[in-house]
Amino acid sequence: MTKFFKHIAIAACVVAGAGGAAFAEPQNVKDFPLAPRIAAKIAAGETLNLYVSYPDVSNEFAPFVIAGVDRAGKLEGIKATVIGPVGPDADAQISEIETLMDTIDGLAIASVSTDALAPILNQMIAAGIPVVAYNTDNPASDRLVFAGQDLTQSGREAGKLMGGVLDGKGKVIITTLVASAQWSIDREAGAREALAAFPGIEVIATIDTGTEPQEIYAAIENAMLANPDVTGILSLECCSTPAAGTWVERNNMKGKVHVVGFDLLDLTVEHIKNGLVDATIDQGPETQGFEAVNLLTKFLRGETIDDIDTGVKIYTSANIAEFK
Amino acid sequence: MTERAVTGKIAVTASGRFRRFSLGREFGVFMALLVICIVLTILNDRFLTATNLLNIGRQISLVGIMAVGMTFVLVTGEVDLSVGSTYGFCGIVLGMLMVAGYPLAFAIVVALCAGAVIGLINGLMSTYLRLPSLIATLGMLSMVRGAALIMTDGKPVTVNIKNGVDAGDLAIFGFIGQGRLFGVPMQLVFFIVIAIAGWFLLSRTSFGFRVFAVGGSAKAARVSGINVAWVKIWALTLMGVLAALAGMLSLAFLPSGQAGRMGLGLELDVIAATIVGGTSLAGGEGTILGTVLGVLIIGVLRNGLVLTGVSPFAQEFLIGLVIVVAVAIDKWSTASKPA
Repeated sequence: MTKFFKHIAIAACVVAGAGGAAFAEPQNVKDFPLAPRIAAKIAAGETLNLYVSYPDVSNEFAPFVIAGVDRAGKLEGIKATVIGPVGPDADAQISEIETLMDTIDGLAIASVSTDALAPILNQMIAAGIPVVAYNTDNPASDRLVFAGQDLTQSGREAGKLMGGVLDGKGKVIITTLVASAQWSIDREAGAREALAAFPGIEVIATIDTGTEPQEIYAAIENAMLANPDVTGILSLECCSTPAAGTWVERNNMKGKVHVVGFDLLDLTVEHIKNGLVDATIDQGPETQGFEAVNLLTKFLRGETIDDIDTGVKIYTSANIAEFK
Repeated sequence: MTERAVTGKIAVTASGRFRRFSLGREFGVFMALLVICIVLTILNDRFLTATNLLNIGRQISLVGIMAVGMTFVLVTGEVDLSVGSTYGFCGIVLGMLMVAGYPLAFAIVVALCAGAVIGLINGLMSTYLRLPSLIATLGMLSMVRGAALIMTDGKPVTVNIKNGVDAGDLAIFGFIGQGRLFGVPMQLVFFIVIAIAGWFLLSRTSFGFRVFAVGGSAKAARVSGINVAWVKIWALTLMGVLAALAGMLSLAFLPSGQAGRMGLGLELDVIAATIVGGTSLAGGEGTILGTVLGVLIIGVLRNGLVLTGVSPFAQEFLIGLVIVVAVAIDKWSTASKPA
């Protein structure tokens, strides 16, 4: 099992380092009808106001993204500001962008809802304000490029990992904070596709745990009691991953129930070190935040930009020591 | 057998107690709970196992502790929407103090005092500032959660040795949240103790009498010399303390809390459970027994729907439906009883 993880960890680093596979055409400002006020600011050498809109600035993920934006904020000639609602609220995200529209020289956005945000993004592009997507793409809009992880692919990686740790047979439940969110739907589709390649593995159910920590744990606890022959818990996000690991610990199921999840919250890292979570997939949120600003800066400086796949970095007990 | 007077006190026999219960508000709620339990037992053989029942007991405990406090608030005719935020804020405060190296006892006292202060502010706004409690506590909901986010910069607070928490304190804290007393999870022990204390305070003390008087008619209560404002303030302060206690227990159980998610939305569960249990939104009516039954209905439902494999989207619909039906049955059964 340890050798398996070592191979996976090496492969994952390669995948992570491979960089941008293009999803769309490269973009250059020469081919973009830039708003006159922005063009004038560039010509005058003034500081450009770049905004990075995140769908829920109060969640655990946000500080990492903000750290990446802060790092990019040191780039010359720009001022980068993170905006976004507290709690995933599409209306609030749209309202904020509308309010700031006249001062935005470039927008990077992770949409709460792709359909809801597409019209305002297209309105901005029509007004000559460059827009890039990061973390969560918005293919329904005319955004220039996307920097982030391919969510469906990351779900496939999670499914493959689970298939590996279960040696191709067993019963799995999938957990997610919000089963109806686009990111969750994409990841789940990828995970199920990958798990389907293991005929000995059965996916019992998808558990919508909610977002409150006690509710998450209770949902996992109830699901495992209802299905005592489940041997795998596949979490699609940051926050049910550590809860699943805690369940494994509290019920003495280490080695009997395997957990694969996402992101690198403190508790997840601890659980991996203690063998309670088998693997987690890092999205590189700090990198996403950085690239969100970096892409806009390069574009406004006249460089050609393209999609960036921030990759899938897998951490297991074999390489978790590398983290931090 | 009938009720009989003994040395100036009324001693109620077993059948008399049952008759009083069957005529009371709680009976409808109890019947609804019984029906749900029977259906779930038929649908899934794991429902009526000791493990599952203890799980349910633990899972409802934190909402239950807060629902006891909410009973006092609703009976006075007020409401507190800030309980979820208070729960999260106070849990985070406690965690931050522990990580900063302060002793556990100190951290607990500070967290409970923080809850009391929030409740006190809610009370003062709702009385002396004459703000409707709905508005005052709605504002407090955002302010308190915002304060927690500002304090932590949105980052999680993890209580462990790696972050500098004393090993001895961690062990005690862990026992408070995760331990068992004679096989009963500690959270459930706390809930039972709080429920009994709440029942006694509400139904056996002069304070409880004043709570009902104020909720029944604030004007009449004032005329009879009751300080209406301070009864409401005390009820809301008690609510704040219980929300803080629940937040503390939450962190003791899952020792990593994040200000954006901890307690998010719990106010709705707390209010729903209290009202399902027969407490009137208009004030003046409610019992701790009813609240406990209301908490159980919602907890049993959530547990049972997962056990029976109902889809997560259908779960939300069904929980809302059962809440409406349970309250309707309660209203009907109360209306059809002799006055």
